[in-house]
Amino acid sequence: MHIPDGFLDLSISVIMYIAVLPFWIFSLRGMKKVLTDKQVPLMATLTAMFFAAQMMNYPIIGGTTAHLLGGPILAITLGPYAGLISMTIILFIQALFFGDGGIITFGANVWNMGVIGVFIPYLVFLLFMRIMKNEKGILIGAFVGAFIGDVLAAIFAGLELGLSTLNFPYSVQIAVTAMGIHHSIIGVGEGIVTAMILSILLKKRPDLLQLKKMAPIWLPSIDLKRS
Amino acid sequence: MRESKRMITIGIIVSLVFVIIGCTYLSLSQETLDKVAEEFGLSESSLWSPPLPDYELPGLEGNIFANIAIGIFSILMILAFTFAIGNVLKARK
Repeated sequence: MHIPDGFLDLSISVIMYIAVLPFWIFSLRGMKKVLTDKQVPLMATLTAMFFAAQMMNYPIIGGTTAHLLGGPILAITLGPYAGLISMTIILFIQALFFGDGGIITFGANVWNMGVIGVFIPYLVFLLFMRIMKNEKGILIGAFVGAFIGDVLAAIFAGLELGLSTLNFPYSVQIAVTAMGIHHSIIGVGEGIVTAMILSILLKKRPDLLQLKKMAPIWLPSIDLKRS
Repeated sequence: MRESKRMITIGIIVSLVFVIIGCTYLSLSQETLDKVAEEFGLSESSLWSPPLPDYELPGLEGNIFANIAIGIFSILMILAFTFAIGNVLKARK
């Protein structure tokens, strides 16, 4: 889903940089409030792991491939602020050293995979936790959040691509549909991986999850033991 | 501290497995985005020349061992870089 330079109009690329800027500022400030000592090694480990996970390209449909994004698990385990910064680091290294995603389109890639791919799964996850209030809700929320996050990120990428080629009839519709359908497949995979990692963390290292900080008002009533 | 070291070790091992699989069995990349862009007649035009384009060492393209070495180096670099950033930006007591 990494958009290379040349695929987007300059105006779209600039707009995406402007859109991402406040999220970077809030995230850098937010990290200083919520990221704990214990979470720093987790942040570094997950960032490295999902960089590596993005090197694996799974065949999907029509001879195309896709890879996991990692945004949902970063958001749920570290919170959205550190999640966005982790995704930004991954995308920056990929663009700078490997040409995987452009420099001019870096803002668009961070918007798609960092902002949408991190904040949307996080919000959906919180919603499910709020409704279900048990571990099952946490895992279902993680799965659904990851799926919606991946599909929406792909739809945004299609939208940016389609809006950059206005001379091509139905370009937005074609790009959005193709990206959305194809990435719904990888979204299922992302959802399963996210729920699996979260399940392991809930069993082995629940202290690493900052669930109380995510939802301080109602979390005390949640039983995090297996339901 | 001990638990953190254990977690980082497990993370590095899992990442290495991902890199090896990514450089061997799941190395072929033909993303939907590229296909859609191709249909629109868009082509890549970068102002920046990355030192390791497409995760390959110039002159050793297609060499699996070189690709795995790049992957390992990248993992360790990202681990160290993120650790440093996390330490600078973490909450102060």
